[in-house]
Amino acid sequence: MIQLRGITKIYATGKVTTPALLGVDLDMARGDFAAIMGPSGSGKSTVMHIMGLLDRPTDGSYLLEGQEVTGLSDDGLAALRNQRMGFVFQSFHLLPTATALKNVLLPFVYSPRYPADAEERGRRALTAVGLEHRLHHRPGELSGGECQRVAVARALVTDPEVIFADEPTGNLDRRSTYEVMAILQRLNRDEGKTVVLVTHDNHVGEMCRRVVRLVYGRIESDTVAPQPLDAIALLAALPPREEDRR
Amino acid sequence: MNRLWRMAVQALRSLWAERGYAALMMIGLVIGISSVTVIYEMGEGVRSQVVSMMSSMGFGADAFFVASGNRRAGFRRGGAARVLTDKDLSEISRLVNVDLVVPQLSISRDRVSAGARHTITGISGVDIHYAASRRWDIAQGRFLVEADNRDKRRVAVLGASTAQELFPEGSPLGRPIRIGTSPFLVVGVLAAKGFAPSGHDRDDRVLVPLSTAQRRLSKEDKFTAARVNLVDTGQVSETVEEVREILRANHRLGPEVPDDFTIVTPDSILQMVTRQSQAMVAMLTFIATVSLFVSGIVIMNIMLVAVSERAHEIGVRRAVGATRRDVMAQILMESLLVALLGGLCGLGLGMLLSRGIGAGLGLPVAFSLPGFGLSFLFSAGVGLIFGVFPARRAANLEPVECLR
Ligand SMILES: Nc1ncnc2c1ncn2[C@@H]1O[C@H](COP(=O)(O)OP(=O)(O)OP(=O)(O)O)[C@@H](O)[C@H]1O
Ligand SMILES: [Mg+2]
Repeated sequence: MIQLRGITKIYATGKVTTPALLGVDLDMARGDFAAIMGPSGSGKSTVMHIMGLLDRPTDGSYLLEGQEVTGLSDDGLAALRNQRMGFVFQSFHLLPTATALKNVLLPFVYSPRYPADAEERGRRALTAVGLEHRLHHRPGELSGGECQRVAVARALVTDPEVIFADEPTGNLDRRSTYEVMAILQRLNRDEGKTVVLVTHDNHVGEMCRRVVRLVYGRIESDTVAPQPLDAIALLAALPPREEDRR
Repeated sequence: MNRLWRMAVQALRSLWAERGYAALMMIGLVIGISSVTVIYEMGEGVRSQVVSMMSSMGFGADAFFVASGNRRAGFRRGGAARVLTDKDLSEISRLVNVDLVVPQLSISRDRVSAGARHTITGISGVDIHYAASRRWDIAQGRFLVEADNRDKRRVAVLGASTAQELFPEGSPLGRPIRIGTSPFLVVGVLAAKGFAPSGHDRDDRVLVPLSTAQRRLSKEDKFTAARVNLVDTGQVSETVEEVREILRANHRLGPEVPDDFTIVTPDSILQMVTRQSQAMVAMLTFIATVSLFVSGIVIMNIMLVAVSERAHEIGVRRAVGATRRDVMAQILMESLLVALLGGLCGLGLGMLLSRGIGAGLGLPVAFSLPGFGLSFLFSAGVGLIFGVFPARRAANLEPVECLR
């Protein structure tokens, strides 16, 4: 589905040039569940932004479903992001003044046509992340884990082929981490969605079928785990929450 | 349309979220637009007052006045030597576009007495069309009739105030009065019209037949002024020129000599009023423009701050598919709406203010459509023009920069 060939990214700020990616060849197949890992500054976010069409490589080729996208216009990239990709960020990036449902509906605002059943689809997406009882809460009224699940709902509401998540569990506690990972695993397993996530957390890496390690802008290793950890099982093994015990 | 509506709703929502900023952005516009509104409403009030005054004088678009003396300096009451002759008026009345010429003779204010009581008032010699053409109703008795004029009868019609002054008790009808030293008989009393906005009592007057006034009071067969009723109101200026030629020829005025008469058209009065208020309007408009410009700068800077504060939001929108144009439109929409809201508040405040000032100073106030339109255009313009820079700044942000 995604083919990166010889991707380089060099940041030039004034006289200093920072090479972030030094020739990355990377394929993502439909249905992959991949973690991109590596030390800080190794280029994980950069490569994810390039795959997510949020950034352009300095050089190299990017085939999306066999189509070269490096030459597309900004508007062309925006349309591809809108229709084929979903994004989850470490700090959620929800609109603070909008309700959970309105946040989830945001991608539809930029669709070629605002679907008639948008609201229904938004509810379904929030139900899929277990937040059907939080439709009209604003981000300030939700916990961090709930916010990130709203963000996941926003990423999947348009039914994209691939979900990119940059450190989606970076700000979450263990339980919320399992909850978010369980949702992503289910989307991957039951709906065949491709999931690419960046993480520092080895435990999160163990829940991914594939782990790509970056070091200094190069791919150091690309391994497949035959038996990734099941987030639902991990969640069930946690001691019950205070409020559940009562 | 649907998309535009959705954008407007979103813009209103984010303005509401930042209502402190929004209020700050609106202050300048509220001040600017309210002053524009005050200017225009008071100007419009004066204008409509002049129009209603002229129509109460029977001075609609279908007529103009010819008066003795060159009164370019303004409107004076009496004073100038009477120059209009019977010959002038009959030649004017023969013009194709002239329907009727109603001559008028003003006598300088004189003593009018009834028995032991007396008053000083203005006396006019008028013809029988006078009452109808100037919208005077008769309260008692009758108005002047053709026979009064033909026979040069010594009869008089009194204004309501004059009648009250001379005959505080009992009906004035059939009672004798003296104008100067000439004896007259009261045949009618006009219905009261009250004070003119200028403070002048419109009911303080005595009307006598034109011919009688010429014989007994002015003692010359000339007229002070004449109202010229037109057939075709589309040709006012052509007819004015013809009248001017007749009068200049009859009065033997050489090419270098200025007119010894003045032709007053409804337009020329309006122009005069407009000219007088123009200087004030120019100054206030300048103040308004400055405050609108300042508010534009304020809007621009606050929007710039808002854009950088909302970089995350812009980044997310771009990530989920907003184009640069979408982002630009959103920011423009917000600055447009905040400006329009400010303009609306300013309009409301201005209307309150001008009505307050109007009531306080006894000046007329009227809703001004051009003022309203101008306020609307000004606010929209300020919002759009000063929104462009922040909107472009927002549109040029890179999504990755915003999401860091
Ligand atoms: N806008 C920029 N200008 C200059 N250098 C940049 C810019 N963005 C990233 N870099 C550099 O590119 C390199 C890779 O950055 P990137 O954000 O991809 O790292 P990362 O692997 O995501 O790190 P982290 O784990 O800390 O998020 C870093 O050295 C960083 O300093
Ligand atoms: Mg990173």
